[in-house]
Amino acid sequence: MIEFDHVTREYGTKIAVSDLSLSIPRGELFALLGPNGAGKTTTIKMLVGLLRPSRGNVRVCGFDSVKDPRLSHLHTGYVPDEPCLYDKLTGREFLWFIADMFGLARHSAEERIAREMHSFELEEFADDLAESYSLGMKQRLVFASALLHDPDVLVLDEPMVGLDPRSTRLVKDLLERRVHEGMTVFMSTHTLAMAEEMADRVGIMDRGKLRFLGTLDQLRDQMSLQTMNLEQLYLQLTSSSESRSR
Amino acid sequence: MNPLVSSRDAVFDPVRLLNAEQESRTFLRLRIRMAFTTLHTMLHTARLRLTLVVILSCFFWGALYGLFSEAFTFLDSLRTDIVSLLLNTFFSSLMVMLMFSSGIILYSSLYCSREARLLVTLPARAEMIVSHMFQEAIWFSSWGFMLLGSPMLVAYGVVTGSPWTYYAMLPPFMLSFVFIPSMLGNIACLMLVAWLPKIRLHAVSTILVLACAGGLWLGWSTMSATTSDRLSSAWFQEMFGRLSITEQRILPSWWLSTGLLEVARPAQTQSELFASLGEAAKFLALLVANGLFLQLITGWTASHLYRLGYSQLACEQPLRGRRRPMGWFDQFISMSGTATGRPIRLLLVKDLRLFRRDVTQWSQFAIFFGLLALYFANVRSFSYNATYSSMIGFLNVAVIGLILSTFTTRFIYPMISLEGRRFWILGLLPVNRDQIVWSKFIFSSVGSLVPCTLLVLLSDLTLGIPPMFIAIHETCCVILCFGLSGIAVGLGARMPDLRESSPSKIAAGFGGTLSLVISALFIMLVVIIAAVPSHLFTATQASQSPLVVRGVLGWAGSGTGIVCSMVVVVAIGLFATLWPMILGLKAFRTLEP
Repeated sequence: MIEFDHVTREYGTKIAVSDLSLSIPRGELFALLGPNGAGKTTTIKMLVGLLRPSRGNVRVCGFDSVKDPRLSHLHTGYVPDEPCLYDKLTGREFLWFIADMFGLARHSAEERIAREMHSFELEEFADDLAESYSLGMKQRLVFASALLHDPDVLVLDEPMVGLDPRSTRLVKDLLERRVHEGMTVFMSTHTLAMAEEMADRVGIMDRGKLRFLGTLDQLRDQMSLQTMNLEQLYLQLTSSSESRSR
Repeated sequence: MNPLVSSRDAVFDPVRLLNAEQESRTFLRLRIRMAFTTLHTMLHTARLRLTLVVILSCFFWGALYGLFSEAFTFLDSLRTDIVSLLLNTFFSSLMVMLMFSSGIILYSSLYCSREARLLVTLPARAEMIVSHMFQEAIWFSSWGFMLLGSPMLVAYGVVTGSPWTYYAMLPPFMLSFVFIPSMLGNIACLMLVAWLPKIRLHAVSTILVLACAGGLWLGWSTMSATTSDRLSSAWFQEMFGRLSITEQRILPSWWLSTGLLEVARPAQTQSELFASLGEAAKFLALLVANGLFLQLITGWTASHLYRLGYSQLACEQPLRGRRRPMGWFDQFISMSGTATGRPIRLLLVKDLRLFRRDVTQWSQFAIFFGLLALYFANVRSFSYNATYSSMIGFLNVAVIGLILSTFTTRFIYPMISLEGRRFWILGLLPVNRDQIVWSKFIFSSVGSLVPCTLLVLLSDLTLGIPPMFIAIHETCCVILCFGLSGIAVGLGARMPDLRESSPSKIAAGFGGTLSLVISALFIMLVVIIAAVPSHLFTATQASQSPLVVRGVLGWAGSGTGIVCSMVVVVAIGLFATLWPMILGLKAFRTLEP
């Protein structure tokens, strides 16, 4: 579903992502972890077409994100770290705009909008202008818009920012169900407990390089630290790579 | 039923790519919906502002119409054929301005807006995204052209007795003309960002400086080299002879002015009317055809360069380790003075740093005051007698005040609201709330005093005004600086908007509009009260008689009258400064963030 093929992204002389090769199959929830400035957001931006790789290819459902951006986007849902909405549209109008952009037929769009509004408990303020929403409400609306067209791939950049505990649980349950139904989720997060709870595989990036790729058990095996949780393993791994780089 | 519902058939189908027409309709529905909501919101929450905008626009339009009518009647009396040159000069200048303004607006909306960040991740064609943003850019960049151009062209039609066909052809001519420079600005913006992302600012600045330098050279050589009497027929001929560069037939401005002059020609018979209409239609067709051709090129450029440019721009290495060229100045302000005044000085240094690093603020300040300085430096090009010089000096004080009032409303008024949002920082510091408000007042009044008093001095010296009137003008200017700062800071503290993070939106709200209106009234009051006695005094002096007017006006025009008027002006200034500040301080002390 998602393929990074020897992808490198440079910002001037600085290498943000270095020779990243990664393949994520259908129905997997993948969590990308790493300290600030590790290259996670750059990786996600390349995946959703906001950035082009300096070298290498990024493919979603077989479509190259540079050569076929529209087809690649057609199969992708994206929840950015900061919600991008139209202040002068209501929540319902925004979802209609997204449905129209993805070419959904009217009857189908109506059904899906009702479904997502119900899933994210948006009905109460669906007809208020988005400028009056709180951060959590905006984030829930963005989630609803990203899932509206039932994408094959869902890309999440720090998805739980601004969500209250109830909404967080709601999103987690929904992601689990969608992944079970075959959706691929690519998630960047600093919330290690969430990654530990939900991810099938994790990738740990540091200074543009993928330091680890695998399941939590594989990480424990690799580091020979069987009793540690993900947080302890993560800190161990990133601190050792930091000391190596010195 | 939702207004964004599309008219597609109700068939359950999976996601699919839209064709160009469907995408265009989707964006159009979005645009209409947002325009409707914005208008609806304005009608319900910003009636005062909307009413003011409409009234002032009508007033501005009417004043321009009157001015242009007089100008065209005067030119008609000279019996010289210079209208074509005048229109060519006007439209070619506007063409350059439109190109820059639409390019800059598009840059901001295509590459820096949150909307673009959303649209780039949707399965939309790049050319459709650009076209969608272009609609907004063309609106923002061309409304000034419409507001300035329409009274001029209508006045020309009325003065020359043009047939109805002229007025019917005005809108299509103006719209099709606006399209061409805007499209050129659009194409230049796309190319610059995609191919030269790192030097885009330098490239635009260089082109802008070259264009300004070219314009200044042309203006200077035109105004300075003429030897004939000002405003005479020969002077106009000589001056416009130097502007014939704007009459190049390859320029769309020439197509526009020639087409309009053709259709404006008074017709004696029906066949003459159709003949001139036919000629004008050819020029309109030329404008439309070129506009459409440029649209095709824009579409092609956008499809190839927009996503590339978006990515290129995002990949620029952020600047780190900036130099601090004004660090010594900040240090000087922070360290000088008493210990008790140090918190205010530290707040001042913070605001100074924010001002220096906000390009929007200082660039607008520099552009407007720079243009004023240019105008004041050239105001002597026309000969005035002593009475008019004094009046023009007062009008210049009023202009400085009006421009300053837009800055105090736009940048100073929102400052307290923005501080309110950061109350968790200031609330924990050993600074009392009064000091925060006073620091804004000092920042605004001292910051505006220096450029404004210098501008008044430049204007008065150029006009050759006697020292006594220079002192009066400078006093008015100082009073305006303090008063306008007091109004903006005081009302800003009295009516803060703690929910809004955008300064422009805070300034555009009720409080900001009220501040602008009160500021305008204050300026008018100060200038009229100071100007009338001075004008009467100068008129009396110029007529060589003891008093040309008697009674109250006679007394007002005497030395005592001038002194009394200045006392009233100072009293008004004190009231305008202190009353809003007292209200603001009182409200800010009890503000709950």
